[in-house]
Amino acid sequence: MKIKTKLILSLIMLLFLHSCTKEEFEGPSIDILYGDFELIEPLTLTSKNPNFSNNEKVGFSCEFNKPVEWKITILGLSTNAKREITGLSNIIDPNETKWNGAPSQLPFFQEEVCAIELTFENETDTLRDTLTINSSKTFDDGIWVENFEDGTPSEGIVYYNSSGGGMTFTVANDDPLLGNSYFKMGGRVNWDWALGSLDLPININNVSQSSNEIYINIGILSDLVDLHSGQFINILISEETDTPFNDNPNNNASDLFESTMEVYKMKVPVDWDGWQMKSFKYSDFEPLSPNDPNINFNMNPNDISAIRIACQACPSAGVQENCPENFGKDVRTDIDHIIFTSNSSLLDQ
Amino acid sequence: MKRSLLILVVFSVVLLSDFNVHAQVNDNIWFDGLSRSYFVRDAIDKSTINDTLSPNNRSNGYNLLDLNTHVNPIKDIEVMAQLRIRNSFGSFFGSGTEINVRQLRAKGVINDKIRFSVGDLFLKQTKFTLFNYDEELSGDENEMLKHYRDIIHYENFYTQNRWRLQGIQTDFSFKFDRYIRNLGFDFFVTRPSGSSQINETTYSSDLLLSGGSIFSEISRKLTFSANYINLYEVAPSGTNNISVRNPVQGISLLHHFGNEKYRVEQSLQSGFSKRYWLHSELENGISDSISNETKGMYFEFNNKLFMKDSTLTLTAGYRYVDPNFRSAGAQTKRIDYAYTNGKTIYPNYTNMSLVRPTSLFDLISDEKLYNQDLSSTLMPFNPIYSNILPYGDATPNRSGVFMKARITNKNKKFLAKLNGGLFKEVIGQGTAEKRNFGLFKGAVKINFHKWLNLNNELSFSISSESELTERGGDVVSSIDLYTHQLNTFVNAELVKNFFVQASYKQFNANGNEFLTQRNNYGNITYFTSEQEIDQKDHLLSAGILYKFRENVYASLNYSWWGAKFSDQPDYKYNRLILILSVEL
Repeated sequence: MKIKTKLILSLIMLLFLHSCTKEEFEGPSIDILYGDFELIEPLTLTSKNPNFSNNEKVGFSCEFNKPVEWKITILGLSTNAKREITGLSNIIDPNETKWNGAPSQLPFFQEEVCAIELTFENETDTLRDTLTINSSKTFDDGIWVENFEDGTPSEGIVYYNSSGGGMTFTVANDDPLLGNSYFKMGGRVNWDWALGSLDLPININNVSQSSNEIYINIGILSDLVDLHSGQFINILISEETDTPFNDNPNNNASDLFESTMEVYKMKVPVDWDGWQMKSFKYSDFEPLSPNDPNINFNMNPNDISAIRIACQACPSAGVQENCPENFGKDVRTDIDHIIFTSNSSLLDQ
Repeated sequence: MKRSLLILVVFSVVLLSDFNVHAQVNDNIWFDGLSRSYFVRDAIDKSTINDTLSPNNRSNGYNLLDLNTHVNPIKDIEVMAQLRIRNSFGSFFGSGTEINVRQLRAKGVINDKIRFSVGDLFLKQTKFTLFNYDEELSGDENEMLKHYRDIIHYENFYTQNRWRLQGIQTDFSFKFDRYIRNLGFDFFVTRPSGSSQINETTYSSDLLLSGGSIFSEISRKLTFSANYINLYEVAPSGTNNISVRNPVQGISLLHHFGNEKYRVEQSLQSGFSKRYWLHSELENGISDSISNETKGMYFEFNNKLFMKDSTLTLTAGYRYVDPNFRSAGAQTKRIDYAYTNGKTIYPNYTNMSLVRPTSLFDLISDEKLYNQDLSSTLMPFNPIYSNILPYGDATPNRSGVFMKARITNKNKKFLAKLNGGLFKEVIGQGTAEKRNFGLFKGAVKINFHKWLNLNNELSFSISSESELTERGGDVVSSIDLYTHQLNTFVNAELVKNFFVQASYKQFNANGNEFLTQRNNYGNITYFTSEQEIDQKDHLLSAGILYKFRENVYASLNYSWWGAKFSDQPDYKYNRLILILSVEL
């Protein structure tokens, strides 16, 4: 083929390509994304009288003309319990956007009427509806560690600094999170970090989930009356499998939390009023002794052998005086409803 | 294994330390490499920024030696190991000192016919199949900032628009006495990234890149080549059952003619790409399926005129790249705009600890912003710095004409370069209206020492680069973005090999654009509106340079740089930099 012929063919191809230019466009329409907001389908609920105790879920559906940030707010009119569900889309799909009856944070919903509100970021439109909870959700789906309903766990070890003032390391019934009992942890130890701890043995060697899929949930109660601003809870989880839980009975605590063992930690500052349900993914815990080359830190929920919940606070006097402003203040970090859940936190189950 | 190798190499270096690295130890072992001393001191200009949280100034630096040991155990085989010894300033007694093997390669010829290389390879094919395009703002860079570029390119293995990959390559050719003159083949298989643990139970798959080229000189004036490349994941090497496939095929014809005064080269390139994700369902016993499949093509016709006395080079052509053309080897960007680990210089600023927006100086100097890994999807880009061809000539959804010219006179008293292009989107993004693009670059270098018959160099260069993006239609979706870059540079050789230099670089961007957001499969999911782009970056530098010999120099300069924004606080910084670079 001669070069001239090739050039002619090239020019024909060039013209062909020009004529092939398409008329449609890539991606979502900008005119819709940045144009006026319009509602296409109203807000509807799959159930107006849900039975959450039977694991029923309420699905929400709605459709609008463009993707926007939306927020569904569910408010218990008796308890003031609140749940917020958010998303960014142009459609709310009832198969994906569901409510299980749990709040975003405590208090829990009870059998009550709830107001539902759907709002949109940067838009004035608000859609409203109501539902009535026939039976409220129970929070028992998971692997129980302790609920304190039978008093102080018989296999557990409670330790506290007996020289402190007003030490409360015992089961109480006056203000439980769920059920009838909870465990009080508090008091006043001005000169030291540690106030006390509760050690519990755990055997969950039948779980199949990885550390990314296991959550530890714990209810924590505090108050803002003369709050000790440096109080916190330290959660230690041990995967030591060779040492018995109480190897040395003369100790005040379990022997599974030594710095030479495979132990993971999580620090939880406590600075709120009332109960809060805290949930932590197990993989978010940090090694207790990360620089020890003799420890193989390979998280495996099967190997969890014990948990320690320690009440601590920044000392306000003595040689470790770091927080003098807290001198004489009581620490309060009471706990209840300790439970492992799979794939999501307790409130998202 | 790696540790043993390292010990072996260190041991070898210690044993051989008596040898002069310039010298051939013997025919079987020889050395080359690079040594660099680098020191910078950065300071905040507090006249602009209210920042009491950041230190007023900070300094750091390092010494490094990259020693390349070439061993020829037999005549046809060479093994090369590059050992890096790097010592950060302020460290001592081994603390802060790194020793690692930076490159390993064996190459040779089998029976004087088939060449092969194993290990670190530097690969390139055509501009549409495998090509490592230059980064933004790097065209016509003046010599004063070239030291930064050299370091970034060296540290990221950017050599002649090649991608550094690890694998095996072979090539061989045949000569013929009839029908065609010769026929050559080149094949490679590489692994851009290996399987790695994402979490306790999930592993990513091996990512492989393989390809080949066939090229033939059909006649004295006509050359034909065909290229194939495929980026793919090997699903069984990980725990995901989804793996990407991105084969690209291309052919090109190169024809040339001329006489004793000029030569004309005409090239025609075209090819096709396909990209999809394969869902393997071996465990469930059902057949595999694919998703997110896209198919696209490209076409380029290019004419190049050379005057044989080198006074004029002129290029003009037409290019079409389909919106769905996807080629990981050619569309992966050097600059990683998604990099979020913080910049090297003052990553935060103001007393609100805002993340400092990227500026011209960061792109020039911060090697951390640069990427070495091929990406199977289009990487994000910043339309301020490059909106017309963010993925080089392989940028999808573009059609248009382009031209380049290079003009000089016989005694090289001046050198002028022109570069222009008019492009248009093939289909619109977010609207049926298409973007129109205009590109104009001009650069002039005047060698005064040639005009004035001076022995020492005295030159001035200036360049200007403008990009214009427009889109009509509704007010909501219309676009008007203008960016401009200005470079000036003065170079005066006071005494032999000793230069005083000064440069000024300015970058402006004004208008509005939409940033494209894509999902994991490269599909556009959203357009973020940037309605008030008004940015002005500046960089003023002055300094001295002493060239001991080619590729051996010491440079000391001071820079004043900063940026102005319409929607966030401005900033200004200063930098003193000392570089001693010795190519062994």
